[in-house]
Amino acid sequence: MRGANVSDRRFPPLAIALGAAIFVLVPLGLSLADSGYFFRLAIVTLIFSILALSMQLITGVAGLLSLGHAAIYGVGAYTAAILSTRLGLGPLLTIPLSGLVSGLLGIALALPTMRLVSIYFAVATLGLGEMIYVTLLNWVSFTEGPLGIGNIPPLRPLGIDLSGPLATYLFVAVITAIAAVIVHRCTHSYYGNALRAVREDDQCADAMGLNVVRLKIEVFAIACFLAGIAGALWAHTTGYVNPGDFRFAESILILAMVVVGGLGSVPGAIIGAALLLLLPEALRAVGEVRILMVGVVMFLCILFLPRGLFGEVSALSLARRQLGAAWQQDRGVGWR
Amino acid sequence: MFDRFDIFFVQQLVNGFSVGLVYALVAIGFTLIFGVLNVVNFAHGEIYMIGAYAGLMALIFLAPPWVALLLIVLAAGIVAGVLLERAAFKPFRRFRDEASLKSKAMRESTLLSSLAVSIIVREATEKIFGADMRPIPRAYANALQEPILIGELAVASGQLVILGAAIVMFLTLQFILFRTQIGLSIRAVAANPLGAQYVGVNVDRTVIATFAIGSGMGAVAGILIGLYQGTIFPAMGFAPGVKAFVAMVMGGLNSIPGAVICAIFLGVSEAVATEFFAQGWADLVAYLFLVLTLIFFPTGLFGAGRERV
Repeated sequence: MRGANVSDRRFPPLAIALGAAIFVLVPLGLSLADSGYFFRLAIVTLIFSILALSMQLITGVAGLLSLGHAAIYGVGAYTAAILSTRLGLGPLLTIPLSGLVSGLLGIALALPTMRLVSIYFAVATLGLGEMIYVTLLNWVSFTEGPLGIGNIPPLRPLGIDLSGPLATYLFVAVITAIAAVIVHRCTHSYYGNALRAVREDDQCADAMGLNVVRLKIEVFAIACFLAGIAGALWAHTTGYVNPGDFRFAESILILAMVVVGGLGSVPGAIIGAALLLLLPEALRAVGEVRILMVGVVMFLCILFLPRGLFGEVSALSLARRQLGAAWQQDRGVGWR
Repeated sequence: MFDRFDIFFVQQLVNGFSVGLVYALVAIGFTLIFGVLNVVNFAHGEIYMIGAYAGLMALIFLAPPWVALLLIVLAAGIVAGVLLERAAFKPFRRFRDEASLKSKAMRESTLLSSLAVSIIVREATEKIFGADMRPIPRAYANALQEPILIGELAVASGQLVILGAAIVMFLTLQFILFRTQIGLSIRAVAANPLGAQYVGVNVDRTVIATFAIGSGMGAVAGILIGLYQGTIFPAMGFAPGVKAFVAMVMGGLNSIPGAVICAIFLGVSEAVATEFFAQGWADLVAYLFLVLTLIFFPTGLFGAGRERV
């Protein structure tokens, strides 16, 4: 069997190619261009890739339409900002702590709202997201309000200076790769199958013996953890956080990335993030059309490519070909 | 001293009531469209904004009398609503069987497409007219900001106009829904789209009529509120849109009287909240109500029983 043959490879060729592109080619190109702008663009794209990946887990795989994801991301950013400016903690502590705070907040938000389905859940997350934004904006003594928090120290874990553009890029790239692996393992496994069952018909999944509410809360917590990490990276690489960066429009941007890339597909999330961030930048000469482009691309995608640029089915068959891992119970991988 | 405080408080309640009416005007159209299509129309706030801009353009270039102004805005709203339906909702109604009419993917794709259309419209308006606030010509704005004293209470003439408009719109809608042929078909489609089709209702035409009515009302609300507040800007639809949304959810998603009552309740409680907290925190009230309603009264305060939320 071909499948058995392919599964012997520890590292599938595609993963090696992707890793080479992200860790060698892009940094090489960026260093040759030696432009702070391009480095910044690459780092922001990676951060939004993490966000899109986490959104993919909630919206694409588990089928929960969340309209408040940017607020969770904002909580992560503010946690990192406050911990590092007030308490002087290093990024090695602030990044996981931000993830933890966001994840716990995710659980707290998920507990009461998980009984809601489809549009009602979307509306509830919209409301919760705006509540978090209003809190960030108005709790001036704690969050500095609309002024935002500045002077967040750059990445210097354990005294190793990673604040240069190339080092920062590589650091963020490593975390993005880890996030991609986490999301991949959550999707392409029996766990992912359970989530898809919940997405397709939660009453049926419930009748089959899956603990639907628990699954939803778990996946929401994982996604919020990743969003919090992305927020901490944003805070440390930007050096400044402001409530305006974590509003409804940002949630929509993340959602659009997932929709354009293809709901339920891991590579799709990254493709979507890259497309929706880089395309508007490429069109900068035309004028400030960033959000308009997001709207147009999202609309055309929903209309003509309802499965997205790289949809779930193609993502699954790609994973099957590359990893050759269907029906391997001992490795916990499979999607039938 | 106490009666001064009291009159101030009553004044706040009156102001809150008129803010609530503003939300109600937007919520009526919102709820009408939800009731029929069972989808949330995220672009309703943009219809409201289009109404305001159409009115502003008419004021600047034509300076029409009041009735003509309202008719122009109504026409603009109807056109915008029909175009919106064509662009964002029609493509997703090609599947007609019961399973896809009720399916989650269907509902969410129209939700996303209306969201995308609303982004496009808002940003395009910003590109064309500029993002900043545009003042209303003074002659018109003054007519709605005339203070009228009732005892010790000061009421702006615009508040009375909005009250009148809300009553007229509500009654018109009830008349259309319960006394006309098209209203009958709207209610039939709302109850059961497939069944309505089997008994000979033209579902497509009904949906377009619903959009025309709802959007026309949204556009009229936009110009009235723009005139009353004195400024118009591309993002003006967002805040009332979200509040109207909250009112709709609180009212039970397909109950128009429920949405109106909840919108007024929301406006009054926001005004009371500004009495006790800073202005910024008062925004929290609406979202708090939204989340509490969803958790404790998932079918809304006035909604009929639904299968599941």
